[in-house]
Amino acid sequence: MIVKGFLSTNQIRDCEKGCVKLLVKSFPRGGGHIPHRKDATKNKPIMVMPAPKLAVIALSQHAGAPCKPLVQVGDRVKLGQKIGDAEPYISAPVHASVSGQVVEIAEKTLLDGTKALCVVIENDGLDETEEQAAQDYSRLSPSQIAGLIREAGIVGLGGAGFPTHVKTEPRKPVDTVLINGAECEPYLTCDHRLMIEQPQKLIEGLKILMQAVGAGQGIIGVELNKPDAIRVLEQVCAEQSYIRVVGLKVKYPQGAEKQLIKAALGREVPSGGLPADVGCIVQNVQTAVAVADAVVRGVGLYQRVITVAGAAVYDPRNVLVRVGTPIQEVIDYCGGMANPAAIVAGGPMTGKLIQDLTAPVTKPLSGILVLSKDEVDYELNLPCIRCARCVDHCPMGLQPNYLADWSSKGLYDQAKRNHIMDCIECGLCSYVCPAKRGLCRSIQAGKQAVRAGKTAV
Amino acid sequence: MNAKQELWAPVIRAKDTIPRIMFDVVLALIPCWLAGIIFFGFRAFWIVLLSAVTAVLAEALFMRYPLRLRSVFGDGSSLVTGLIVGLILPPTVPWWIPVVGSVVAVAIGKLVFGGLGNNIFNPALVGRAVLLLAFTAPMVKYVRPFDAVTEATPLLTMRSFDWALIWGNVSGSIGETSVIAILIGAAYLLYRRIIDWRIPVGYVITAFAAAYVWDLDPWVAVTAGGLLFAAVYMATDMVTSPVNPMGRLLFGCGCGLLTIMLRKYTSFPEGVTFAILTMNALVPLLDMLTVPVIFGAERSREQRFATTAAVALVIILAWGVLFAINKTVPEGVPVTAEGVYLPLVETLGTDVYETATINDKVYYFTGSREAPEKVAVVGAEQGYHGPIYFYLVLDGSGRIEHLQILTHSDDPGLGSLITRRSFLDQFIGLDTAELAMDVDIQGITGATISSRAVIRGVTGELERFQEAFYGGEEADAGAGYADGVYTAEASGFGGPVKVEVTIDQGKILAVAVLSHRETPGISDEAIRLMPQRITAANSPDVDLVSGATLTSRAISEAVKKALAQATRTEENGANAEEPAVDISSIPDGVYRGTGTGFGGTIVVDVTVSGGKITAIDIVEHADTQFIAQAAFSQMIPAMIEQQTIAVDVRASATLSSKGLLEAVEAALTGKEAK
Repeated sequence: MIVKGFLSTNQIRDCEKGCVKLLVKSFPRGGGHIPHRKDATKNKPIMVMPAPKLAVIALSQHAGAPCKPLVQVGDRVKLGQKIGDAEPYISAPVHASVSGQVVEIAEKTLLDGTKALCVVIENDGLDETEEQAAQDYSRLSPSQIAGLIREAGIVGLGGAGFPTHVKTEPRKPVDTVLINGAECEPYLTCDHRLMIEQPQKLIEGLKILMQAVGAGQGIIGVELNKPDAIRVLEQVCAEQSYIRVVGLKVKYPQGAEKQLIKAALGREVPSGGLPADVGCIVQNVQTAVAVADAVVRGVGLYQRVITVAGAAVYDPRNVLVRVGTPIQEVIDYCGGMANPAAIVAGGPMTGKLIQDLTAPVTKPLSGILVLSKDEVDYELNLPCIRCARCVDHCPMGLQPNYLADWSSKGLYDQAKRNHIMDCIECGLCSYVCPAKRGLCRSIQAGKQAVRAGKTAV
Repeated sequence: MNAKQELWAPVIRAKDTIPRIMFDVVLALIPCWLAGIIFFGFRAFWIVLLSAVTAVLAEALFMRYPLRLRSVFGDGSSLVTGLIVGLILPPTVPWWIPVVGSVVAVAIGKLVFGGLGNNIFNPALVGRAVLLLAFTAPMVKYVRPFDAVTEATPLLTMRSFDWALIWGNVSGSIGETSVIAILIGAAYLLYRRIIDWRIPVGYVITAFAAAYVWDLDPWVAVTAGGLLFAAVYMATDMVTSPVNPMGRLLFGCGCGLLTIMLRKYTSFPEGVTFAILTMNALVPLLDMLTVPVIFGAERSREQRFATTAAVALVIILAWGVLFAINKTVPEGVPVTAEGVYLPLVETLGTDVYETATINDKVYYFTGSREAPEKVAVVGAEQGYHGPIYFYLVLDGSGRIEHLQILTHSDDPGLGSLITRRSFLDQFIGLDTAELAMDVDIQGITGATISSRAVIRGVTGELERFQEAFYGGEEADAGAGYADGVYTAEASGFGGPVKVEVTIDQGKILAVAVLSHRETPGISDEAIRLMPQRITAANSPDVDLVSGATLTSRAISEAVKKALAQATRTEENGANAEEPAVDISSIPDGVYRGTGTGFGGTIVVDVTVSGGKITAIDIVEHADTQFIAQAAFSQMIPAMIEQQTIAVDVRASATLSSKGLLEAVEAALTGKEAK
């Protein structure tokens, strides 16, 4: 455990090398070491990308019910104006990321190849905004904060896209808010850069979240491969005794919600349960920053930091991008690409392949990886030799070899009995498989089938 | 991206692939191979190379036809199987053993189950099991390192730990002897995370503990006889071991326990093969029983407790049962004439008997010392694992009246068959001469060594009895044989073994094996060593050469027969071979005789001139021409030359030969001059 000021930079470096392991927290079972590949972007400051000419804003960028458009073709919208909203609780509104005229409301292809209703806004380049004065959040009640968060359209920015206001109104008492700064996925450095460049905002967001859920302590968990971020955060929160930074062992998937809670607090989220069941909530770094922006400055979520990396892109870096910018434009801003073997949305372990480069940036998108042939491995699906590496590495203690087998054979009952629904889809089983089988992919399919209520044929 | 390759998250993968894993295992096997070459010479290199090449080719031919050069190695698993098959063979095997072993391992051990990943049993061990059962003799013929002298495996010979076991300077299979080499390989595999420590550690520790409990030297148990090699390279085979950590630990422990059990209680001194194959069959069960408690599962503590309790229960039960078995085996009871109750009164028929110690042996007898009516004695003979003690009652003339086994330490299953009456009753009524003349005592299949030990022991006891009670009278007869050269034969493994015994001054001067049809390679040692031993001991009753027992026994038997001739020659003072026909008294003339051959009657004309056979003509015969002719052309000159009809029968044409002899004898005895 690295408490504020507890370790010097040298000691952190030692930790990184594995000399002082006892001081570092980690989850106990499974997990594995995978190459970071973060060097290309981790030291470059975040660049602000100009707003696109045409912003394509999807009305469903989150987990939950899709929004209905609040504007019509021909309407003029301001920057940050709410343009879509929905009735159901688990949903989040969307906002205009440029000022200008709505030119089209139609179905467009999204990142994963699916189609969804989108509002297309022609940018007038003025960035007109609805000015709002900074406000003192300390007087707001939890429900007021949750309302502000919902109005700002904040969703989990780590990749899941779950509406944040739902998390801030837990059904059980919560004593701890955990900020997930582990960023265990290779390539991605957007959270890393944010922790270094905007630590004040991060702490502010954390305090707001603590106030919203009534938690007494805040913990920021950071993997030890980001010693600069740990040092900066420790300096910033040195005054507050109820906020501390915890160093986490560099081990995938340290940033998975349940693993992070186990590492930082020693609490084990029960099977099928939520973090609130053990008295805590977990928020991504960028989400906390967005919460601070929303509550203090009243700014809606219309832009985010994205890591553009991979050997096939010329100038890998972190960029602040407006939501609705086409992927192609983001890549072009980073110098363009040459002979990519794969373009991935999100991290290489859990991300999805981008099929269509005209698809717009959405809120949960944490990275665009333009990978060359050397970096990518294909599935071969050789026979399983029962080496048990997937079993040894599974952070949930599952048996991925059997689960994948049952899923692909349609034995969903058996898979369900053996806890297939507890799989967190971290992809580590597929990663370590020497036969390069698509274990995680089969298990995902099996989970979908179980959710759909299928049983064995 | 072609149709077979698909990209899906995670798009990055670990560097390890199946061929890389197999390559690592091959690398880890090389120290063992090198140790084998150092200790057993270049032959070890060729055996392993042959088995490896055969395995690779076998899989390539079965699986990857049409063959392309690049695809020959495939995933490399067949190379690993082939190397292991070679490394667990004794260094003396003929060339076809590794070939057969590898083909069986790859084809039957792996491919019939559906290839890599689907086989239930460790392929290399399937190959070895088949070889062990089908070709036992070459598979257990071990040699001492460097000088290639045949020697039993240290498991049978060594009773205490020796540093030679660590270096590997002991007899054994090519790759199994050197503990150092195996540990180097194990360290590499552990470093590369190819194997899980739970299997080898569980294996070795359990074996150590089991050996300790069962009074074996635990250090010898784990360092001798391929246990360590199996623990590192064969039990850890990924395909045939459990996937759960707890399952792997239990798997290793089970292998260790079974290995020592098999060594202790069965006739397989090595034990490893069938221990691992048995545990392989239990892998699905172990996988099912040891499903790990998942992250965040409820009642995880109770579940853990239940698992621990179940494991503890199984272990305790297993040990309990084994202890019970252990206690029921009569062992370590001091067996001497005084130490155990002998049924003297029942077998001697009276409680008035005398006890005398003659030649350090205690005899209980009725009647007088000079004319005993019944004599009882306790004898001992080395069996398979230890001495066999038996109780023998003879009548005054040395005929066996009663025989029973008192105690033995041979395997409870097979070895104890020698205590059955059906076996022992064969001895009743026999005397020294009949037993020595090899009256057929049916040995027990599977307990050959034990049953032969009984025969040997009883024979020895009978001889000692003769010497003890009638020693004075028969001293002259037994002291020496008539000088001369005698030939005799006895059947060995492949056919008759013919020996020539030279007697000089009443002692065996030399023994030569004239002809034999034994398997080359296996019998060489026996043919070389047995004559030396017999000459040195001046007796055919010497230790047999292990690994070539049948040949040794045949030589011993043949010498006994030759010595019987020598004895009889002296007693009768005449040609004992041909008492019925006295050729010299037959008047000159041509005599006709008939005998029955294979196909019908054989008619011969025998010409006698000046008291000698001068010619033998075949008048007619109905036997198969080329078979019979060979016999006739060999035997007729022999009879004329030796002036006797007691010539050797040609083995491949026994009936024709016997018919010929019958006809000649009829002609000479009939005295019907034509």
